[in-house]
Amino acid sequence: MSVSNKTPPPPLAVRSLSVDMRALRRVGARPAFLDYLVQLWDFRQFVAYDAHARVQSGTRKDRLGGAWLVLNPIFNGLTFYVIFGMLLNTSRGIENYVGYLVIGIFMFQFSSGSIISGARSISNNKSVVQAFNFPRATLPIGANIRELIKAVPLVIAMLLLVIVIPPAESITPLWLLILPAILLQSLFNLGIGLILARVISTINDVGHLLPFLMRAWMYSSAVFYSYERFIDHPEIIQAMKLNPLFNVIDIVRDCLLYNTVPSWESWAMLSVFALGALCIGMFFFWQGEESYVRN
Amino acid sequence: MSVTNIYEETVFVEGSPCVVLDSVSMTYKVPTTASSGDAQDGVLARSFRRLSGKPAQVKVNALNSLSLVVERGESVGIIGRNGSGKSTLMKLICGQEQPTGGAIYASSTPILLGVNAALVPDLSGDQNIVLGCLAMGMDRGTIDEKFDSIVDMSGLAGAIHLPMKSYSSGMGSRLRFAIAAAVDPEILLVDEALNTGDAQFVDRSRKRMDELRDNAGSVFIVSHSLSTIEDMCTRVLWLDYGDLIMDGDPKATTTAYKKFISRLGKGYEMQAYHLRDASRKRLVAAQVTSRVSGRRRVGEK
Repeated sequence: MSVSNKTPPPPLAVRSLSVDMRALRRVGARPAFLDYLVQLWDFRQFVAYDAHARVQSGTRKDRLGGAWLVLNPIFNGLTFYVIFGMLLNTSRGIENYVGYLVIGIFMFQFSSGSIISGARSISNNKSVVQAFNFPRATLPIGANIRELIKAVPLVIAMLLLVIVIPPAESITPLWLLILPAILLQSLFNLGIGLILARVISTINDVGHLLPFLMRAWMYSSAVFYSYERFIDHPEIIQAMKLNPLFNVIDIVRDCLLYNTVPSWESWAMLSVFALGALCIGMFFFWQGEESYVRN
Repeated sequence: MSVTNIYEETVFVEGSPCVVLDSVSMTYKVPTTASSGDAQDGVLARSFRRLSGKPAQVKVNALNSLSLVVERGESVGIIGRNGSGKSTLMKLICGQEQPTGGAIYASSTPILLGVNAALVPDLSGDQNIVLGCLAMGMDRGTIDEKFDSIVDMSGLAGAIHLPMKSYSSGMGSRLRFAIAAAVDPEILLVDEALNTGDAQFVDRSRKRMDELRDNAGSVFIVSHSLSTIEDMCTRVLWLDYGDLIMDGDPKATTTAYKKFISRLGKGYEMQAYHLRDASRKRLVAAQVTSRVSGRRRVGEK
């Protein structure tokens, strides 16, 4: 005779309990999509506080503190200027190459920073996700607002560089157009960040690929060369015009450097991508709402 | 071995209960260093895993299918040995983990008063208080009102403005408790580890918990202290290896559990498991069926 210590015998009986379930909700259940959007709005104070508090604490460890928000892209720009502008001479035929480069790098860094921190917002905040029940999309949204706040000194620095470094550009009313461009750009960043946040929380390995993808994206966004070098390959130019980040950079360059009204095609392309990414991203992220709490 | 269960007549639960567990089960997949984990996989999966250098995985049944109906006003104590599934059950009820089988229903969001809810290490204590309260759905006005009492509760005083990563583990858990205790939940879950902290904090937290328990609709308590369980609970569950052994009167359940533990402690394993199995054989397990009252009449028209 052996007693198994693992499995106990079956219970004496099973009593069926009939329960009125109408007043009950499944714990951790995902609400309907529209209810979810309403919930997000209800948690707007959480989003704002999360974004605000972390901007302050982000650079607390550094001696220069918040100055790194501006110094970082400036050093980045210098590196590209020395390598691509002076050594490799990709500047050929570009009017005001420094301005061209500065705009490309600053605008691209804004996007890559937002997309990466949006994408990692769930995996980096696992402890908060497990501690409290709140709509999870607040975290990527908070991360994107945080990046937008951080972009304010960045954009001001960019404008100053364009004004100060010769050939100095003059300020025109067209400069105001960069605001809607940046707004659309951040909506696009949020959409992509939401999609990647769900992908990374399911397949963590994608997080390792992210820096490479962003680099490839930068090289194809005409940050430090002119797209006119592909003038003999119309299909490449066509493909580049489908790149929303290239469109943002192009719009900002038109406004700040070349004093031309950006083409409506650029605006249309950017708007479609921004709103499309946001809608798809939000829906895709919502579908995985119940999965983010798992390890 | 097939045993047919005796089905009793259906019992109609009056009103609306606080928490309903409908055949909830939980299986974890955990990495193992033992090579026996290999046996569960196919050849292909095994070679892929070897290639990527990942350890073998085994399935651990933390909780076997469990159904439960907890009504308003009930205080449920959960006892059992280490690894019996107590903490898993708590995590499932508060939504920290999703069950691998079945579902849990509650009348409002359950709040877990534990010390394992980590917060944001880079932010200061006061920022964590605001963030945590906002995450629980409080609005800024209420938080400002309660802020001082939360700080008092945590006993952190001046350290509240330092980043949380500079806190000792005791300070961290006190702050987490204070934040979680700031809301008045309808469904309250209390994990045992509250014994951390100095005597003064234990005293304060005891008092706050008593207040919360008085106001809450239903309470779940996990504790190794059987006297605490007997004092505070109206119903006690005994879990062992993820199975429900007993469900009933606190005194009877803790007595049976004590006997089991003392036999085990003296090395009489056979006797101990006999006792446990005898208790299990007297258990009347539950099965949940959903009823939509009121709507039936509409359908009959």
